Amino acid sequence: MRSVLSRRRFLTGCVGLGAGLLTGCSRWPLSDPAEPRVVVVGGGFAGATVAKYLKILDGGIRVTLVEAQSRYTTCPASNWLFAGMGDMERLSVDYQALRSRYGVEVVADTATALDLSRKRVQLQSGGAQAYDRLVLAPGIDFRWDVIAGYDAAAAERFPHAWKAGPQTLTLLRQVQAMPAGGVVLIAVPADPYRCPPGPYERASMMAFWLKQHKPRAKILILDAKRSFSKQALFEAGWAKHYGYGTPNSLIEWHSLADNPLLELHADSKILASEFGDRFTGDVLNIIPPQTAGSIARRSGLADAGGWCPVRPATAQSTFDEFVHVIGDAANYAPIPKSAFAANSEAKACAFAVVSLLREQPLAEAHWLNTCYSLVTPEHGISVAGVYKPDTGNTINSVSGAGGVSVGNNAEAERAEAEYAQIVYRNLVADSFA
Amino acid sequence: MRRLRGIVCALALFPVPAVRGDLSAQAIAMNCLNCHASGQAAVSRLPELGRISTAELEQALLAFKYDRRNATLMPRLAKAYSDAELAAVAAYLGRH
Ligand SMILES: Cc1cc2nc3c(=O)[nH]c(=O)nc-3n(C[C@H](O)[C@H](O)[C@H](O)COP(=O)(O)OP(=O)(O)OC[C@H]3O[C@@H](n4cnc5c(N)ncnc54)[C@H](O)[C@@H]3O)c2cc1C
Repeated sequence: MRSVLSRRRFLTGCVGLGAGLLTGCSRWPLSDPAEPRVVVVGGGFAGATVAKYLKILDGGIRVTLVEAQSRYTTCPASNWLFAGMGDMERLSVDYQALRSRYGVEVVADTATALDLSRKRVQLQSGGAQAYDRLVLAPGIDFRWDVIAGYDAAAAERFPHAWKAGPQTLTLLRQVQAMPAGGVVLIAVPADPYRCPPGPYERASMMAFWLKQHKPRAKILILDAKRSFSKQALFEAGWAKHYGYGTPNSLIEWHSLADNPLLELHADSKILASEFGDRFTGDVLNIIPPQTAGSIARRSGLADAGGWCPVRPATAQSTFDEFVHVIGDAANYAPIPKSAFAANSEAKACAFAVVSLLREQPLAEAHWLNTCYSLVTPEHGISVAGVYKPDTGNTINSVSGAGGVSVGNNAEAERAEAEYAQIVYRNLVADSFA
Repeated sequence: MRRLRGIVCALALFPVPAVRGDLSAQAIAMNCLNCHASGQAAVSRLPELGRISTAELEQALLAFKYDRRNATLMPRLAKAYSDAELAAVAAYLGRH
């Protein structure tokens, strides 16, 4: 034990000396147990955080991050654009700090296949990356088989904007361009999906802008659920700011739990439900049901529900003990799919990967989630949860802790709006910088 | 930014906590960093952990847990941990 510890101290020191030494180290043969190899697929909040914290915890591990895009656009804060806060440029981060500050090798490529038996990741460019342990963090993909007529092509015209990027701007322009008394439809899927309070924050941010520029407009939320995250807080905020509950409300929420949306008629911009109800609007923001990123499903690491089951304490896939899955792609229920949770899962995963590689005792996993949402730029609300693994393979939300904002006064609302913005910047820095 | 790096470096310098309790404190403390310790304390109301002593941290965490001190979020989080865990987290953060 003692010798393992001191070796690890030594290796950490070695990396601290700088990138020159690191490059030297990286030429060591793969089999060298002193420099185990971890490959991370996907550089979102989950993948970036795990790559960074693996190097912080044990600089002797060689960490390669495979990410398809050279810049990452954060979904958090992307709803705020609809209220006129910020711009796309400020949602964008790169991987420079992971490289230069922490010694992560960043490979701009797409993982096309996983060879689990040979422990290799196949890359689009033709190369491959061998690993001792793989961390899979590919985020989500969309299901196009639920609403007939709504597929990837249709989503260019009726954007989901559920991966921040060009669609976010398309949707923004559509809302800005719609007629004065126009209608925005927001279709929300059943659980589980990325960012449970996201659709309602988006509606709030759109309403904030519409109230000033098109006060006769309406946002219609068509929800596959019976209730939603932070519902009481959102509804109180909507009543306070947007006339919710009155005939002139800017926002209406309808549960279609028993009457799901089944079809999009693109030409007439009509969404039809099972019982034949037809909904139409000037702007259709259709958020489709989701699954784990396709690389996970194609590799047999997802279950019938479309998400990757894991042993929560170590994030190991239940299908392959050398693969760890974190972030939105993994099933960590009851922890919601959020960037905050992805960051927390990544840290616990980094701990576990180091312990397994170095044959050291595992630390007890602790997860934290705090989801802030803005109702207006000066009215913030939050829901928090603290989670621990129980003795089986399940995760417990620690009772007596967490829950939604309690303040309920203008001072607390303003403070939470400010915290939402500070915490967003800190979360991005903690994950990418 | 400088402080964040300070804390992160400190984590790197002590990667192998001596006892399991410390390991657990580190695992909890890492989750504090996603909100705190950005170096923006001067312009925001969010306290920077790197500037607070162990004693002050422990006192604050316990005050949040037992509702002796108000805040929008921390009372909801502090209630998840035992007094011993909060003390260990405070000691860990105070040291690094
Ligand atoms: C509108 C909106 C608002 C949100 N607001 C918040 C918020 O305020 N707070 C919060 O905590 N969360 C929020 N979220 C949720 C948050 O965005 C996600 O939970 C988070 O991005 C999950 O991180 P991830 O790393 O698992 O996935 P992602 O962030 O999607 O990252 C996955 C990465 O993997 C890459 N990738 C995928 N497949 C491959 C492959 N085969 N090869 C190489 N690279 C690949 C992708 O390019 C991508 O960069 C919001 C989401 C939305 C849609």
